[in-house]
Amino acid sequence: MLEKDIQKTENVSAAERIRNVKTFVPRVDIYENKDSLFLLADMPGVDEKTVDIELEKNVLTITGRVENGQVKDAAMMYSEYEIGDYERVFTLSDQIDRDKIVATVKNGVLRLELPKAEEVKPKKIAIKAA
Amino acid sequence: MMRIKNLLPTVARPAARDDDHPFYALQRQMNSLFDDFFSGFDAAPRALAAGGFGAFTPSVDVKESDKDFIIRAELPGVEEKDIEVTLSGDTVTIKGEKKEEKEDKGKNYYYMERSYGSFNRVIPLGAETDAGKASASFKNGVLNITVPKSQSAKARGTKVPIKAG
Repeated sequence: MLEKDIQKTENVSAAERIRNVKTFVPRVDIYENKDSLFLLADMPGVDEKTVDIELEKNVLTITGRVENGQVKDAAMMYSEYEIGDYERVFTLSDQIDRDKIVATVKNGVLRLELPKAEEVKPKKIAIKAA
Repeated sequence: MMRIKNLLPTVARPAARDDDHPFYALQRQMNSLFDDFFSGFDAAPRALAAGGFGAFTPSVDVKESDKDFIIRAELPGVEEKDIEVTLSGDTVTIKGEKKEEKEDKGKNYYYMERSYGSFNRVIPLGAETDAGKASASFKNGVLNITVPKSQSAKARGTKVPIKAG
């Protein structure tokens, strides 16, 4: 029972839903290089049609809907994970170039590339010999 | 197994003020903190068996119907070609590796919650199977395996009707 928590943590703070399924917090990696921030989220069961990414002001919301795929006439022998939707909210800084955000989904992993705005990229200042 | 939350006293509260009172928000956060913390301990033996603490281990659901076993495993970020499913007698083995992206080495991490590495899960089914007719599919990071039961296993489960005397 507890082992499902390795992969999934239930999202207790998500707004109440009409859909009668649990909502989980996807596990994420966030890292940056000099040009962009990258966000990788493990969301097994979603594809490009069932992921929604919304950016409102500074708030980036990732949601994923998973069809439950119930198998009829089958008894559960053991269960380590539950099927449910995903939701997670992040607050972005102003330094992201919103128009150039790229999102892809592959094998149940959402990958978001959030390019930094030109003005915040580190610049090297050449020093002239006097 | 019992969730640790069940051991902690809960405050009976009216549903309407659930969200607006800071105390309840704090309580909720504490509950989830305890849950996360203790679930990590409970999970440790399996993670260690898979080759180190924090290594990737897929979560597996197993269902049984009259005719077959349906196994579903969550393998986000694993490539189809990196998964190996083997069947022998009454056990299914799922092997594979979740590879980390290599191209972005030397990156600065803010969050590292996902895990990588090779995994190996052996799932006992408890009944003879018809290995020749097993099928597997992989879509959106979810592996589905259907293993039909063997004739003898099906026969063993036959119900005997009881007549009223």
